[in-house]
Amino acid sequence: MKITLNKEAREELQSLAKNKDVYIEGNILKLLEHSDDDFKEYINAALAKDTERRKKRLEITKQVQDKNKELEEKAKENDDLMAELKEALIIAEDAKEAALNDLDVMQKKSQFQLIGSIVSYALWVIVGTGIITTFMYAMAIYWNSTETTLIGNTWSNLFGILLTNSFSIIGTIMGVKYANNDEKQE
Amino acid sequence: MIDSILLVDDEDLFHIVFDDACSLLDIALSLEGVHSADEAEEKVVGWSDEPSKKPDCIFVDLNIIGSSFDGIELIRRVNHKYGNGVVIGIISSSFNEDEIEKAKLVGAQFWIVKSDDIEPRLEEFKEDFNSYKDRTGEFKVYK
Repeated sequence: MKITLNKEAREELQSLAKNKDVYIEGNILKLLEHSDDDFKEYINAALAKDTERRKKRLEITKQVQDKNKELEEKAKENDDLMAELKEALIIAEDAKEAALNDLDVMQKKSQFQLIGSIVSYALWVIVGTGIITTFMYAMAIYWNSTETTLIGNTWSNLFGILLTNSFSIIGTIMGVKYANNDEKQE
Repeated sequence: MIDSILLVDDEDLFHIVFDDACSLLDIALSLEGVHSADEAEEKVVGWSDEPSKKPDCIFVDLNIIGSSFDGIELIRRVNHKYGNGVVIGIISSSFNEDEIEKAKLVGAQFWIVKSDDIEPRLEEFKEDFNSYKDRTGEFKVYK
């Protein structure tokens, strides 16, 4: 299918090209009949200009496509890095929490060790005092000492005080342990 | 030269590349581009009322972003649901054997691998076009 332009239209187009450098462009050029030499020259010039323009545009579009691809790849890399950073942040937060827990456990452990030592020494003192006074009371009874009643009363009072203190210490330890278990459960 | 081509691709820049390449290689006189498979389907439906608007060939992208179905499904609908008998195939950057096999099964006649240097593939396709038109050409992958 070819389109034939009349002489007037052909001359008008040629004059426009000569004076204003304006040419028809696009695929319509491929459909125009160009039997006369002058118009053939016009069509060839228009086709050359159109081809040149399209080549340039194709080249630029391809460059833009390449840049877009690069940008997309970089955006993807960026997203991957962000994901890695987020993951690292979560791991760091977990490690911090674990370290704080360990520190807390260590502090509690040292507190318990301290309490344990105090209680142990206190119990040794109580038991020691109990043994000594009981031994003195037993000796007084054995030797029929006149001070037996006095030592007996003293032993009884002292033993009562020691027992009271022992239960007080044990009560305190149980209370601390119970409170600590509650905190852990919370 | 092919009179008219319909390109179904979501990428604007590729429309320009394809248009310029087709013009420079004297492949087609006119090129219409749509950006989704749904838009393309509307056109296919419209051809029954206006057969003159039917293109000679359809190039379909495989994964068309913003469409409710992919390129292979579009080809299936064009061939089996609407029975348009138009030369149709895939133009995609993907080169997946399974997808190629699926495209073949739904009646795609060719598979052109998109790349920076698409012109040689289009030139090769231009030479084979008549065989696709008269249904003598076998399915071919241009890579």
